[in-house]
Amino acid sequence: MRAALVAALLSGSVPAPALAASSVSNPDTYTYLTISDADSLDPGYSYDTNSHMIVMNIYETLFQFDGASTEELLPLSASQVPTRENGLISTDGRTYTIPIRAGVKFHDGTPMTVEDVRWSVLRFLLMDRAAGPSALLLEPLLGYPSTRDEAGKILPGVWEDANRAVTAQGDKLILRLPRPYSPLLSILASWAPVVSKSWAVKNGDWDGAEETWRKFNNPNKESSPLFERANGTGPFKLERWDRATKEFVLTRNDKYWRTPAKLKNVVVKGVTEFGTRKLMLKAGDADAIFADRPLLTQLQGLPGVRIIDDLPTIDMDPVVFFTYKINEVGNTFLGSGKLDGAGIPPDFFSDKDVRKAFAYSFDYKGFINDVMRGKGTQATGAIPKSLPGHNAGGRKHQLDKKKAEEHFRKAFDGKLWETGFKFTLAYNSGNLPRQTVCQILKRNIEALNPKFKIDARPVDWPAFLDNYKAAKMPLFVMGWNADYPDPHNFAFTFLHSKGDYPQTQKFKNPEFDRLVEEGNAETDLAKRKTIYAKLQALAFEEAPQLYLVDASRYRTQRTWVKGWYHNPIMPDAPYGGYFYPLSKN
Amino acid sequence: MLKFILRRLAFLPLVMFGVTFLLFFCLQFLSAEMRASLYIKDPRQLSQLEAVIEKYHLRAPLLLPFKFTGTVWPLDVDFVWVGHTQYWTWLGQVLRGDLGYSETAKMPVSEAIFAFFPATFELTLLAFIPILAIGVFFGVLSAVYRDRFIDHATRFVAITGYSLPSFVLGLVLLMVFYGRLHMFAPGRYTFVTDQLVHSPEFRHFTGLLTLDCALNGQWEALRDALSHMVLPATTLIYISVALLLRITRSSMLEELSKDYVRTARAKGLPESVVIRKHALANALIPVVTLSSLLFIGLLGGVVITETVFDFPGIGRWGVQAAQQLDIPGVLGSTLLAAFLFVMANLVSDLLYAIVDPRIRVGGS
Repeated sequence: MRAALVAALLSGSVPAPALAASSVSNPDTYTYLTISDADSLDPGYSYDTNSHMIVMNIYETLFQFDGASTEELLPLSASQVPTRENGLISTDGRTYTIPIRAGVKFHDGTPMTVEDVRWSVLRFLLMDRAAGPSALLLEPLLGYPSTRDEAGKILPGVWEDANRAVTAQGDKLILRLPRPYSPLLSILASWAPVVSKSWAVKNGDWDGAEETWRKFNNPNKESSPLFERANGTGPFKLERWDRATKEFVLTRNDKYWRTPAKLKNVVVKGVTEFGTRKLMLKAGDADAIFADRPLLTQLQGLPGVRIIDDLPTIDMDPVVFFTYKINEVGNTFLGSGKLDGAGIPPDFFSDKDVRKAFAYSFDYKGFINDVMRGKGTQATGAIPKSLPGHNAGGRKHQLDKKKAEEHFRKAFDGKLWETGFKFTLAYNSGNLPRQTVCQILKRNIEALNPKFKIDARPVDWPAFLDNYKAAKMPLFVMGWNADYPDPHNFAFTFLHSKGDYPQTQKFKNPEFDRLVEEGNAETDLAKRKTIYAKLQALAFEEAPQLYLVDASRYRTQRTWVKGWYHNPIMPDAPYGGYFYPLSKN
Repeated sequence: MLKFILRRLAFLPLVMFGVTFLLFFCLQFLSAEMRASLYIKDPRQLSQLEAVIEKYHLRAPLLLPFKFTGTVWPLDVDFVWVGHTQYWTWLGQVLRGDLGYSETAKMPVSEAIFAFFPATFELTLLAFIPILAIGVFFGVLSAVYRDRFIDHATRFVAITGYSLPSFVLGLVLLMVFYGRLHMFAPGRYTFVTDQLVHSPEFRHFTGLLTLDCALNGQWEALRDALSHMVLPATTLIYISVALLLRITRSSMLEELSKDYVRTARAKGLPESVVIRKHALANALIPVVTLSSLLFIGLLGGVVITETVFDFPGIGRWGVQAAQQLDIPGVLGSTLLAAFLFVMANLVSDLLYAIVDPRIRVGGS
């Protein structure tokens, strides 16, 4: 019996992986290993790449970018892409008529209707969780980026404005804009996917009524009925989200309106340890893995593995963010919470000298050369070089310890240098470049004054996002992938007081707001560039964030993976992305 | 014997009280807001910390339900009855299984323990039996054949095992067996078993994967689950066996040099009897102590091994909770470790009584 067990263990453990080099392992199951879990599956709530990647494979938006293009659109839930030529965009550019595709069914078998589409867009607008994705559509459709004022009170007229902007006529969705907004269709290519209204309501979601929408405005994450369940029209169905093992299992939607996907199953799993991810890729148990630039050399030359390098991006990653007004409640990042050498006060980073001192303490060149292996240039602002509005000649911070010391000595009227400080900065576990950014800052700043103490702490992605949303982290390192290919997406997100980052960093600068709004309203590209150049100069001066590198990326996959294409707009591109076109052979 | 067990069991609540009180006392170094997070199951309440503080009296006295005001005791002493304390309120929650909400696990702590502990328990069981067998057997052998080849070889293995970091050994094993030979994949099971385990047909009797696979008659899944535990278990065995082996050897050497062993030999008893029935019986006492500590160490979480092998156990969760200062998570895993420690001590006391009857007699 014992011998049989040992023999079974030995013989049984040589299955598919042993054949990895010569034949496809698990031909109908695609496994992607990333570093962390998703945050939420609610299409109106999720605003991180991990979650959005899963959402975009389960649900479907009205349109989608055509293959690798970031300009051409394909209709998905819509049956036609509106243009001025086909008359579906009015001559004044303010009314979009979107015919909805017939014969599409949700995963539960119920047919998709125009009412589902209208309700989904309205839900996306009115949910408006703090620092969430709703601003992407609130701005073009309602003309203002938030449903609440600065005190968190719901603005008057939101319901009326939203219902005026989003209506249904027959089999068409009508969108009425307060003013022309050219990136609208690009936004709809990634956001506000169609959810089954009846199913969602049955599960306790908003019923679409005026009397109840306020209750669903700015919800907490887990309180949403769509947090961990899904019913979309996309090519894959959610079979399971195991939060203990950080694993998603998606299965093919055999009743998909297009030809069903070639893959039967998709597994997305968080594996923090790079060595384990690499070995699973090598053995053929994974088809693609997340791997940062510093790890490339360890992946090159692996048999059966293909590296696709120098992929262009529309992102800004990593970026250092300073929180101007740190949330003290239950906060473990702050230390004592006072300027006494054992902590920092909540307004530590509202002192410009502190921010500038940090800016001059980072080794930008060393980071690009050693960590990013020279595959990038120092960023000059929030707008990446792949987008118009990027100003390559803008001023940049450099490592300058003398200037850093000068600013530290000036900070808090000279008190900071005497008292010193101690706090914890955070990065998401498993992300090597972001971890290195924290370590460089720690090393360089602690070297300036023995009274300066910084701890760098890895935080798991969902918990990182929770702390970020709660404005608990004094300094954090994150990145931004474009929601749509337009400089406004970066200018607004990084610098407008209603943008994602300023909301969590708790900073507001009327001049930033003015320039961002002016840049968005301007249609003349040359003038727009001038406005963004001013914005960039102001961002250098104020240093609310540190932009480190404008880099290219690479993808690591098994050679048997077919059908993959790079579209930098896809969530988690180029690592994860859209699984529908993939196959293994 | 029954009296002995009952008396030991009677101590259990007292020890648990001591452990929980100590934990709770340490928590007093945190602000009331941070402690309030202990009581939060639903993240929606995170914005209502003040209400939680009020509800659970987190600014009330620690242990006794009154405050006293006064200048110099016993003069001007005035007790003010407040009716509630932090500790007893908290203990009431813990006894009801309400350990708060773990931000790291994204679920209530009690659920997280049930989600992560079985994996660690299975792995520990699989590793511990060989650790015990190898450690004691080779420890005795090493002592009996002192300074001979077997002793040198055993000590060499023990020293390398003891000095080798588990992440190095884990990665080497993974590279050799999985990377090169394509055997023993990381994780807890393959996708096929994953699908089976999550199918409605699969019944979860115990939460232990291997046992549930056997009870469901799923032998292929059982084989798969066991094969995923081979490398992490091997890592644990190699790292942990060294200590047990060393202790057994030194304990055995000490016993073998004592007069009663010389007497037994002089009486003409066979050497095997002298070793097994006389020396080993006495040498086992420190071995029993160490074994229980080893078992608890493994159960409390084998963090690095679980991380390297992507094994979803309680150690990995505990460390993530500590890294992220997820206080309910840290408390939950610490409480579990404390409970296990108390239970293991009880078992080792019982084993003492079996190994050395003087303990039982002395106790009675």
